[in-house]
Amino acid sequence: MLAHAVSYWIRGVDARRIDVEAHVVPKTLPGFAVVGLADRAVQEARQRVLSGMVAASFEFPDDRVIVNLAPAREPKQGSGFDLAIALAVLAASGQAQSASVARVAAAAELGLDGRLRPVAGTLAMAEAAGRAGLQGLLVAPENAAEAVLAGAVPVIPAFDLYEAVQILAGRADPPPLPEQPPMSETEPGPGPDLSEVRGQAAARRVLEIAAAGWHNLLMVGPPGSGKTMLARRLPGIVPPLTPAERLEISRIQSVAGTLNGSCATTRPFRAPHHSASAAALVGGASLRPGEVTLAHRGVLFLDELPEFNRAALEALRLPLQDGEVLISRATGTVRLPAQSLVVAAMNPCPCGHLGDPRRDCRCPDQRVVAYRSRVSGPVADRFDLRVEVPRADAHGAAGEPSAAVATRVAAARELLDAARPALDPAADRLLADAVDRLALSARGRDRVQRVAGTIAALAAREQAGADDVAEALAYRLELSR
Amino acid sequence: MSAADELRVVLAGAASGVDPGRLARRHGAPALLRATPSALERMGALPVLVDALRLARDADAAAYRRDLAARGISCVTVSEDAYPARLRELHDPPLALFTLGPGVSALAPSMRSAAIVGSRRAAEGGLRLAERLARAVAGSGGLVVSGLALGIDAAAHEGALAAGGPTIAVLGCGVDVPYPRRNRPVYRRIAESGLVVSEYPPGTPPAPWRFPARNRLIAALADVTVVVEARARSGALITADHALDLGRDVLAVPGSPGVAAAAGTNGLLKSGAGLIEGPEDLCGWLGLDAPAAPEPPDEERDSRLLAALSEGPAHPDALSQALGVGAGPVVAALTRLQMAGRVWPDGQGRWRAG
Repeated sequence: MLAHAVSYWIRGVDARRIDVEAHVVPKTLPGFAVVGLADRAVQEARQRVLSGMVAASFEFPDDRVIVNLAPAREPKQGSGFDLAIALAVLAASGQAQSASVARVAAAAELGLDGRLRPVAGTLAMAEAAGRAGLQGLLVAPENAAEAVLAGAVPVIPAFDLYEAVQILAGRADPPPLPEQPPMSETEPGPGPDLSEVRGQAAARRVLEIAAAGWHNLLMVGPPGSGKTMLARRLPGIVPPLTPAERLEISRIQSVAGTLNGSCATTRPFRAPHHSASAAALVGGASLRPGEVTLAHRGVLFLDELPEFNRAALEALRLPLQDGEVLISRATGTVRLPAQSLVVAAMNPCPCGHLGDPRRDCRCPDQRVVAYRSRVSGPVADRFDLRVEVPRADAHGAAGEPSAAVATRVAAARELLDAARPALDPAADRLLADAVDRLALSARGRDRVQRVAGTIAALAAREQAGADDVAEALAYRLELSR
Repeated sequence: MSAADELRVVLAGAASGVDPGRLARRHGAPALLRATPSALERMGALPVLVDALRLARDADAAAYRRDLAARGISCVTVSEDAYPARLRELHDPPLALFTLGPGVSALAPSMRSAAIVGSRRAAEGGLRLAERLARAVAGSGGLVVSGLALGIDAAAHEGALAAGGPTIAVLGCGVDVPYPRRNRPVYRRIAESGLVVSEYPPGTPPAPWRFPARNRLIAALADVTVVVEARARSGALITADHALDLGRDVLAVPGSPGVAAAAGTNGLLKSGAGLIEGPEDLCGWLGLDAPAAPEPPDEERDSRLLAALSEGPAHPDALSQALGVGAGPVVAALTRLQMAGRVWPDGQGRWRAG
């Protein structure tokens, strides 16, 4: 007898539908085959399904069982097909109703005792199941909360394979779903606040511009000057996430397995170590998302920028420019969102004390030049804002709280979304003059113009003036002059 | 002929890697070339030099000069009239001086000249000041001498070249060896319009011990030596010592107390060096007409900024606090003043009034 079930797997951050067909072929030698370009984890599903079915007091057919994962040309990965395979085999052997199995999608791993285990990415799967018009998504209890966030399809948690079959047959009620407040009403908890930063007027100003215009930021300063502290406070001054953005971020975190049952309410802050590879930063290993995607709509903080692998930094260039990652492998092409704001930090020299009036820097010239040149050229060009952060001043004035800054940033963003301020004639002349004198590249000119627009928007001006351009120029030149 | 013999001794010195200057001054170059090996060893010559002198005895000095001339390099030995009078004041004048470039007239004793030297890794503000000092000296008819090193030296040469005036670069290697490599463009421009000089024959590679030695030539070729920025134990202080030995004036640019980058110059000032704050001061020491003073600032905010910066370099944070103006407007004003050539970032986050 033939039966079929539906499952999903995650490629990049998208859920891809797989139809699981099972055929118990009568009057053949007993056996169990899975076909359809399944990887090792899927092949091993045979043992888990066999053991799980028997443990859940079902019978494994005495005839040959063939399972096909369609579309067969697409290579598949993961252990999330276990439940769908088991259900299809049960339906094909008459131990479950074919019609009820085919109506829902199933995404869970099976334990040898028949228990359902969680898999990554159920939020995206629930959305896809909803779009496909399926009537439910069967998941492990641990995945129920995040699958519900999609609000797209009834989520059916089940403890084990036996319970799953009983629920599908209408002989049992699914366990209650976890309470989930509507997404728009979840309030983010308070993050680190800018009022904790003393002094640093220039760095605060740049942080505000970065938040308003979503400009990448490079901070240069001695160790302990507060670069990391400042970067951690950036997500707190960006306007709160819209419900759509929360879902988008939750989907990515669901795929990465870092979503803790409730919707993402704060912007992500990712700080990969400088030993990160290119694949870890932009994604690609098994078509999985990298740090730049995990930081989507949040902050990607690269501390000790010059210590990063050159190839890894180069790989970041295109995502920074396009806001998305495109990965092509023999097994397919995936597109990953990557609208993260990159905040990088570096020391002024290898020892970190160059320019510090109280410490003597002992780095030889060539090492300083070599250190700085590691972030020169095309990579440095992607940072619209560069600022020198001096040694922290313990006696400096306590700054404005994040909430006050966030209000200005939100107003500026509204203005920028409506129309980016253009340059007034005086600003235009100043920029033209700067291009001549300061040897600004075409990209540099364009970026200065954008930053000047952001600065004008922060002051609620509809046109950018000469002072706005001058300030924008200052941040562009900070390193090169 | 003595000049030819001196040239032979210099070549022997270069070939052996041993400086024959002391022996040549004491015994005379012809005597060195004619002495027997055992006599040379009694004079204290090392065996490698003895061998080199024996080989150089019959070298064709005239042909060597012709070869050099074909490459634009001239050579003058200490016994010739064309030898720069200023170098004769040294207690150890070089036996020969090799020169490359058209600016030979700059070696005339009547030329008012300043050596501008300092740290190889100076801050932007120091570099700008060196450039402005050199520009003022060269622009008012004086000569700028320096050592073509990175940092202050290069900035001084650049300033003199920009003013279209003469400049002399004293090298610690052959005049045909552009070192350090990063200064190759400046080297080329000096060779085209100024003068590159060295006591070492063309082709001599740079070696660490030759650079302190060339500092005595820098000091000797100048009427005054200005140290723009120097740490304690900087090579520029060696130049200043040589200048003092020669009885020439030593001048220094002050820095903030306790700042490592200014320890050397402040030390000079403490022991009596002349104080240089700007081009007018240096021109005054040289007896040259000072360049016109910069126009007074026209905007109120700018003048307050400049006033704040006149007390020393400052980070925008400090300026913002001192003036009670937001960091954004301060940064904007600084950039506009920079474009007007009034202030300079020091490359380490602070700004300096120019």
